[in-house]
Amino acid sequence: MGILTIGTFASLVGSMNLDFVVKLAATALDKGHEVNLWLSGNSTVLVNKDQKEFKDYSHPGVMLPELIDKGLKVVVCEACAMARGVPKEKAIDGVTYTSMDWYLAYGAKGDRLLHIGRE
Amino acid sequence: MNLALFVSDLRFNQETLDRVTASNLGVFLVENGVYHAVLKEGGSPSAVLEKEGATVYVLNEDLETRGFSGDEVDDRAKVISMSDLVDLIMNDYEKLAWL
Repeated sequence: MGILTIGTFASLVGSMNLDFVVKLAATALDKGHEVNLWLSGNSTVLVNKDQKEFKDYSHPGVMLPELIDKGLKVVVCEACAMARGVPKEKAIDGVTYTSMDWYLAYGAKGDRLLHIGRE
Repeated sequence: MNLALFVSDLRFNQETLDRVTASNLGVFLVENGVYHAVLKEGGSPSAVLEKEGATVYVLNEDLETRGFSGDEVDDRAKVISMSDLVDLIMNDYEKLAWL
């Protein structure tokens, strides 16, 4: 099995990129891989525990607690999250807040790195 | 280099795809990128399908979400599941890029 690191700078609520990323992470975990998920920019809103699900907006963040329990490492750019009003206290449990160097280190250490930029 | 290139939209920078070279190139059509495997514009199929030397894959889950089935897909694209996608990127393609 391998280590897959995914970094995303996706859009806000309803982002297709985040949909894809969370499904990819879930499938890779199920297949026994180690998965690291780095969230930057607007994608940091994914960890907002108060974010509601709307009929018209996909919110894959609701899957994160279960995936974290399965071993998914979710790491958020602290500066990006704070700038968007999502301090650590507002985040779901099990999420790490840190800075970009974590992403560079885990990106280099893993077997595969998928970087998803703007949307 | 074994490169997996993800195409995630119908409108994207085709020139980038044209200029990419890799010893083993997989083009993965995901999200709105799946339209490249099923739509024609001006009667012509997508130029993505004609990328020389590339193996083109299309993600089944994203096809179905958009109301298409496997038999509507151009023959040059292989329909895969998310599970297949994970196996391919973890085993066959060491570099991943996103368009």
